[in-house]
Amino acid sequence: MASDEAMGATGVGHPHASPHAAERSGSRMEASLYAISSRKLGMWLFLVSDAITFAALLVAYSYLRVASENWPRPFRFSPSIVNATIMTFVLVTSSVTMVLAVRAAKEGRRRGAAGWLLATMLGGVVFAALHLREWLTLIHEGVRLFQNPWGTPLFGAAFFSLTGLHIAHVCAGVIYLGAVAIGAGRGRVSADAVEISGLYWCFVDLVWMFIFPLVYLMSARMG
Amino acid sequence: MAAEMPVEAVHGHKAPEGFISKYIFSYDHKVIGKQYFLLALFSVFVGMVLSWLIRFHLVWPAAHIPGLEKISPTGAAGGVMTPEYYLSLLTLHGTLMIFFVLTTAPQGGFGNYFLPIQIGAEDMAFPLLNMLSFWTAFLALAVLMASFFVTDGPPTSGWTAYPPLSAVGPVAGPGQGMGQTLWVISIAIFCVSSLLGALNFIVTMLDLRTRGMSLMRLPLTCWAWFVTAVLSLLSFSVLFAAGALLLLDRVAGTSFFIPAGLVFNDRVLPHSGGSPLLWQHLFWFFGHPEVYIAIVPGMGIISHVLSCFCRKPILGYRAMTYCLIAIAILSFTVWGHHMFVSGMSPYSAFLFSTATLAITVPAAIKTLNWLGTLWGGKLRLTTAMLFAIGFVSLFVTGGLSGVFLAQPSLDVYLHATYFVVGHFHMVMGVAAIFAIFAGAYFWFPKMFGRMMNESLGKTHFLLTFLGVNCVFMPMHFIGLAGNPRRYSTFVANFLQPLLSVHKFMTIAAFVTGAAQLIFLYNFFRSMRKGPKAPMNPWEATSLEWSIPSPPPFDNFGGRHPVVYRGPYEYGVPGAEKDFLMQDSPEGVTAR
Amino acid sequence: MNQPGERMDLGPSTGVVLLVWGGLLGIAVLEVFLSFRQLAIKLMLILLMGLAMVQATLIISYFMHLRYERRSLILTLMPALIFVLVMMVVFFPDSFRLYHMKAR
Repeated sequence: MASDEAMGATGVGHPHASPHAAERSGSRMEASLYAISSRKLGMWLFLVSDAITFAALLVAYSYLRVASENWPRPFRFSPSIVNATIMTFVLVTSSVTMVLAVRAAKEGRRRGAAGWLLATMLGGVVFAALHLREWLTLIHEGVRLFQNPWGTPLFGAAFFSLTGLHIAHVCAGVIYLGAVAIGAGRGRVSADAVEISGLYWCFVDLVWMFIFPLVYLMSARMG
Repeated sequence: MAAEMPVEAVHGHKAPEGFISKYIFSYDHKVIGKQYFLLALFSVFVGMVLSWLIRFHLVWPAAHIPGLEKISPTGAAGGVMTPEYYLSLLTLHGTLMIFFVLTTAPQGGFGNYFLPIQIGAEDMAFPLLNMLSFWTAFLALAVLMASFFVTDGPPTSGWTAYPPLSAVGPVAGPGQGMGQTLWVISIAIFCVSSLLGALNFIVTMLDLRTRGMSLMRLPLTCWAWFVTAVLSLLSFSVLFAAGALLLLDRVAGTSFFIPAGLVFNDRVLPHSGGSPLLWQHLFWFFGHPEVYIAIVPGMGIISHVLSCFCRKPILGYRAMTYCLIAIAILSFTVWGHHMFVSGMSPYSAFLFSTATLAITVPAAIKTLNWLGTLWGGKLRLTTAMLFAIGFVSLFVTGGLSGVFLAQPSLDVYLHATYFVVGHFHMVMGVAAIFAIFAGAYFWFPKMFGRMMNESLGKTHFLLTFLGVNCVFMPMHFIGLAGNPRRYSTFVANFLQPLLSVHKFMTIAAFVTGAAQLIFLYNFFRSMRKGPKAPMNPWEATSLEWSIPSPPPFDNFGGRHPVVYRGPYEYGVPGAEKDFLMQDSPEGVTAR
Repeated sequence: MNQPGERMDLGPSTGVVLLVWGGLLGIAVLEVFLSFRQLAIKLMLILLMGLAMVQATLIISYFMHLRYERRSLILTLMPALIFVLVMMVVFFPDSFRLYHMKAR
């Protein structure tokens, strides 16, 4: 644990040293409550706040849907739900590759870590591509933020805003992972930094675990 | 173990050089704290001028205010304020004061400056994020101020920005075009700033405490900043979501908050399906924790200052800590009390009311503990102490009116009257400001290395204390008489006898505002010409008083303090002086 | 703090990772299957949300390593998050009220 903290604890490239330096074990500072680096704790806290933001949006969507009449159910099993399920598979698998990347980083395997990170990025890119293709199909069918051919205009608003925020997180994640992958490959970032990026990526997957049933499956067209 | 993964280099803590990195884009928490103060000072000045305009207009609605037509040709043609512009001014007054004064100065200002020092650290956990959080707040303020200068002026929907008014766009009248959009963007940017700051505070307090500084030895200021940061982390996220949805309604044609069938200017709007109530829920879910974000750091400062100038440990340190935590948890359960008249079920109202009344318990415990600290203390009535005692008095006043408003049956009548305006001004506009003053007078010697003038300070206190009571106490009575809020003029018959009260409050507001010039003069003059401050002019115990005034760039000059005792060891029997500093290794312990 | 299935500090073992992966995918398939059954809306929602929460717990515990962290971290993060999420559920009575108030 201590060396993990040593690796993850200090920052690079700004004039002041990050004060959470290596000698944490009782000599200069109070023992850490959680035995994780400050940056990791910071990432966890950020993810808690981001989770609340997504939750507020999901609650808003659910609230409006409960109060609405004629909420459309346009997603046929094929191609829509199949596509969304494939997207789910891709994202979950990318979380697995992320976990493998973290393990490779912790075992000191630089190229392994970079490779698994690239695989994760690939998963993210495939997810985003499938998603964008779906968006374009819907737009082509006449769905907009303010109207759609099937029912209440809130459907498009909720769909695009929720999935839009999620896909923005995916894209930001791919860029973030790219930076980490380059650093990991060159041996310039610590295992802790890789693990921290893994937390973010798995969080993005976690949010999708809620968007998939609430947005897609609840609007699946029966029959 | 991980042989191939590198240890990240530890950079020595070098002093910054160059004007830009020392004063503009500084990573030093002390500089960032001062920057937050400047931001808050600018905002409170603008906010106060707006309040003068508001109060002036209420008494002399047809008056010509010179210069106003230059700022807003449409809102104040010929210098006479239109009713819509009145609403614009009060919207910006509320927004500036709540967000850019009360959410910045106590936390971003004092907290940034003193949290690392009080826990014995060199800086915050993430200095870069700290710098970003300030400049993001600055950007948010710039965007908000820009709304003054767009064609139709600032929004008219209040700091609460209720839809449909805030969501339908320019068809709703002046201020609801670009002005409202800029407001939403400004608040969204501010959310980011607060979230970054909250992260920093939480991690700093948990991870960077120096040896011996256990959680139960932290000054109550640190606990207050910590609890506030947790509140910010959890609540600003919801405001961000709400703001995003409102922005989409405004610019993308969505209808999250806009119901069907709205008619503006004989046109039916094309929106349908939305719920204005949803905004109220989302906003107040944030809004109630927000007002505790505004007051909790103040509570911490007051505990800290009172203990020092009573020469007694704060009564019930543990209880004070638990009460802070209880207030924070309960603050997430009471937001419905802002919505009692929204048509909610009486059972929901009952639950929210009970929770609101429950929150008075930890607040009362804290108040009693402050009084118990004062009782039997060897009082040193410095200016900081006067403001601290004033805080306790005003917090009781403001809190008591809240107990009235917590009853749905009473609130049905009192909602949107001046009773509410009196209540929240007492707790936020007065008590929280008094805490900021107490902190300013207390910590000025440490921050600037000089002493402020005590006579001027005491005059400032007396005039301000009397003044705020004159401005805000009558509001409770006119509110009980049914005087509505957010009205630009009072034409109804039953309101005419109250106009003389309004005149009294307006004059008191001008006098009280003018009294703040004494503070400003004292503050800026003492910065340059005040007598040099010793390291520990107040004979206080916490770690900030063990370093030079002003502190060196890395706070402790490279050493790492060790803490041996709790933060309020005053009146210690057997000690050489009547107090023991936290890092004093003397064998005497107070028990 | 070593849990079964975890090697020193390296997170979950490959076996556990694959199990969780399979579990997540299996639950996703189950969710799809359920959504095409003719179930009452409330029941459907409860089942789907329950399954989603199982997925979330698996991801947080194993992929995000929280299961292997100190309990103090879990107790710091999770209760606060869950508390806030539960409080937001209090919005819904107004949503139901809107539904019932609609002219039919």
